[in-house]
Amino acid sequence: MVKTVLFALPIFILFEILFRLGFAPIVTSSDLFDAKMRHIKKQQVKQVNLMAIGSSITLYELKSDLVTQNLDTSYYNFASWGVQINDLRLMLRKFIPEHRPKYVIMCASLGEFMSPPNSTYANFLNTPGFIRNNLPEFFYLKNYNSIHQIIWRKYFEYPINFDAWGGASLTVKPKDINHKMWDAHDVFPTRYSQSNYNGLDSLAIWLKQQRIKFIFIQAPIKKSYANTAYDQQRINAHFDKCRSIIESRGGIYLNYYNTTIFSDSLFVDQYHLQNAGAIVFTKEIVADLKKVIK
Amino acid sequence: MLFASIPFACFFIVFSLLYWYVFSGSLKFQNLLILTGSYVFYAWRDWRFLLLLIGSSTICYFLGIGIGKTNNKKRRSLLVWIGVLQGLGCLVFFKYFNFLVESVTGMFAWFDVKVEVQTLNIILPLGISFYTFRTISYLLDIKNGKIQPATNLVTFCSYVAFFPSLIAGPIDRPKTLIPQLAKERVFNYNQAADGLRQILWGLFKKIVIADNCAAFTNDVLNHYQTLPASALLFSMALFTIQVYADFSGYSDMAIGLASLLGFKITRNFNYPFFAQNIADFWRRWHISLTSWLTDYVFTPLSVYLRDYGKVGLILAILLNFTLIGIWHGANWTFVFFGFLNGCLYIPLIITGTLNKRKKGIQSGFKTFLNMTGMFILLMFTFLIFRADSLAQTFDYYRHLFSPSLFNGFVITEKVNMAAAILAIIIMFIAEWKQRDKEHALQMDSIEKTGAKMLIYYGLVLFILVFSATNITAFVYFKF
Repeated sequence: MVKTVLFALPIFILFEILFRLGFAPIVTSSDLFDAKMRHIKKQQVKQVNLMAIGSSITLYELKSDLVTQNLDTSYYNFASWGVQINDLRLMLRKFIPEHRPKYVIMCASLGEFMSPPNSTYANFLNTPGFIRNNLPEFFYLKNYNSIHQIIWRKYFEYPINFDAWGGASLTVKPKDINHKMWDAHDVFPTRYSQSNYNGLDSLAIWLKQQRIKFIFIQAPIKKSYANTAYDQQRINAHFDKCRSIIESRGGIYLNYYNTTIFSDSLFVDQYHLQNAGAIVFTKEIVADLKKVIK
Repeated sequence: MLFASIPFACFFIVFSLLYWYVFSGSLKFQNLLILTGSYVFYAWRDWRFLLLLIGSSTICYFLGIGIGKTNNKKRRSLLVWIGVLQGLGCLVFFKYFNFLVESVTGMFAWFDVKVEVQTLNIILPLGISFYTFRTISYLLDIKNGKIQPATNLVTFCSYVAFFPSLIAGPIDRPKTLIPQLAKERVFNYNQAADGLRQILWGLFKKIVIADNCAAFTNDVLNHYQTLPASALLFSMALFTIQVYADFSGYSDMAIGLASLLGFKITRNFNYPFFAQNIADFWRRWHISLTSWLTDYVFTPLSVYLRDYGKVGLILAILLNFTLIGIWHGANWTFVFFGFLNGCLYIPLIITGTLNKRKKGIQSGFKTFLNMTGMFILLMFTFLIFRADSLAQTFDYYRHLFSPSLFNGFVITEKVNMAAAILAIIIMFIAEWKQRDKEHALQMDSIEKTGAKMLIYYGLVLFILVFSATNITAFVYFKF
């Protein structure tokens, strides 16, 4: 037994060295989510009054400096790429007891209502908090991936720098804008949309039960996305549905879909605002939130 | 639980600690622990069929006692038949019912006769093919006077459900395992160390070679119609190695785990790619199954047909191998696979070289040529084993014979493929050098501990760095 333990010891040391060198374990299928969880631990995020959650819309379009300067309250942006509404239910059930916010703010567009939930988030979120917070090396074992996969991920993941509050900037020069993404026109609604609406409803109910104010923000969409009356009708139906859900459950619904203020030049694709657009967007939001957040 | 998984590692660590530290010195409690652990292991995957396993074991236990108590030949045969029919009945129902229904309705459809028979939504109980053969061999061995019936239900049920080899073999014979269960196990450091080495070797084959190959071969089989023939040929070669690495890797882990518990169980592979002919191959591949069928099917059959000379022998072999094919699964591909392998014996029977075995360890250019020829033959036969249908098999063969045989093809997971190929080379070299040993890591000739440690850590590092992205279930789990 002793010899077996001694034989295995260098292997544990190897993984600890890897961890210290920044080759973190692959916990979920989203490298951004894994990076965000590491950032939360690094920043030692404790109790926050204002919790921002959602997908890349929340991540990039809620400017942390403007939020913290204008709203005199503790804040952190928990958002991550590709998150769906049904993912948020699982996330919030873990984040809220740990960070005890008074307000949850979500900036969303159509993308959060299009896909099924990512089952790998549960790999992290269902692990006991003690292990998540104090023994992240445990995930080398729990979610085993080969070392070359771990190294590959680190070197090929999309580079992202979080600010101190977990937010990030999206700045793409006009010449670098991906034309395929610029011209894309996602089909909406999809077969997962109703499930996500149901998820939004149960999320709103749950937050109300927790006595947490839920602020749902409809983010701007590029004008050329709704270039037919039919498209406009569909997104209006989406807005109405979300408003109905949020307000019926005691939440606050704010809609910033305005193609005059948010012209196409402020976008990088059909949904995402550039940094300049995000600044405009956040200023609008904080002006309204000042009346709500005390 | 897969052997190459964290839940199993945790299970086995706890099990071993209880086995050697808490219940050591008490045979009764050690066996009870083995039985409990085996049932937990089995139920972890699907608890619903635990009752079937327990029921089969209990019935066979009491039948065995009944056979042992009577000297009446007819009564003994009757009891054996009850046991055999019970076991085979369950096996046929769970494994072959839908296949039989579909085959019969298909046969009638050939003659434009419509037969409406419903198939059932049957889930195949894990390991049923393996534990059924264990119970049948137990009853037959008692009847033939080779063993005495087990007198302890726990001991017998532990034999049937012995978890290291329950799900995918080896198919242990009662005279191998029951006596070991009936006597106290004392911890033997050398045996345990060898067990760990064999587990390491099995892990290397399974998660570096087999799983990395699987990512490529599955993709090729799903898209073979659009890929160049060169990719198809490469995939055939890889799949042949993949099946070996997967199955022998599992067997190595099973044998290693049993060694850690103080048991020596049946060897299942003897470096089959070094075979010189088809008979040699089947003496080295899935040894526990072929020897089982040899003892209980082929030998009685060949005795029965001895008056028909070589024709009788050919018939016996064809039937034996068709059963080997059928055992593997409920599909005509397996039937054809088995039958084809039987046909490959015919030249050896006709030339009278079937049982000719060269003494000593073979090497040299002719040996290499024979091995290469065998490998190419295996590539074509194992494709049948893998394909979903005979039609797909022949369509695949058809796509092989095209000018695109000389075209290049794209490998998406380049690092994994390079690692798999390097690992395959290491495996062949190591197994060739160690072909007189039970497994490649039995390195008695290397005396320096440092050198051995270097090899062990080298393997461990290789596994940790290059193991496949997705660790797949063992191929033989579905049998």
